[in-house]
Amino acid sequence: MKNNIRVERAIKNITQADLAEAVNVSRQTINTIESNKYVPSTVLALKIARVFEKPVEQIFQLEEGD
Amino acid sequence: MKNRVLFPYWFRYLGWGLVILHVPLSMLGKSHGMVNIMDAQPTSGGAFSGEHLFFICTTLIMSSGLFFVAFAKERIEDEQIWQIRLDSLRWAIYVNYIILIASLVFIEDVGHILELDFWVPLLFFIIRFRWMIWRLNRSLSREDGR
Repeated sequence: MKNNIRVERAIKNITQADLAEAVNVSRQTINTIESNKYVPSTVLALKIARVFEKPVEQIFQLEEGD
Repeated sequence: MKNRVLFPYWFRYLGWGLVILHVPLSMLGKSHGMVNIMDAQPTSGGAFSGEHLFFICTTLIMSSGLFFVAFAKERIEDEQIWQIRLDSLRWAIYVNYIILIASLVFIEDVGHILELDFWVPLLFFIIRFRWMIWRLNRSLSREDGR
């Protein structure tokens, strides 16, 4: 699963730490999600989408082979 | 994140304190001819003799110390930490049983099984868990360094 959190953060002008605080996880978790090393739970994905005020599918997309 | 039956964060320091405390206590006991878990020998003085009580004390201090270290919360206990925790536990169980089965087959002295069960799962879990967290932090600091 890929995501465009980095782009969305840039648009909203917030740091990884800001996003981490908003969704109540560590900065490490946001970092690993951004670099596609960790797939978040549905709850966390929905929380992240809510921060960016967009549907979850606009932030997270399935890849070939998923 | 819901509270998942873990000790508070500061229990980690309490745990290390107990593990460290166990070392001089064991050495003191050894110098007085007593045994401890590291020797994995049955005590010779009978149940609840001074020697047996010392054995129970040192073993409890060491194992509860390791237990606190292993199951204290992280500063931010999120779902990724939880996943690493579960993964490390799974590996600790694998390693424990591989060593246990191997020792059952190849070693005749069954007294070692108690020692193995005390040390291996908790120690392996702690090492693997801390190592994964260290890798996580390293990747973050690398990212920051870019």
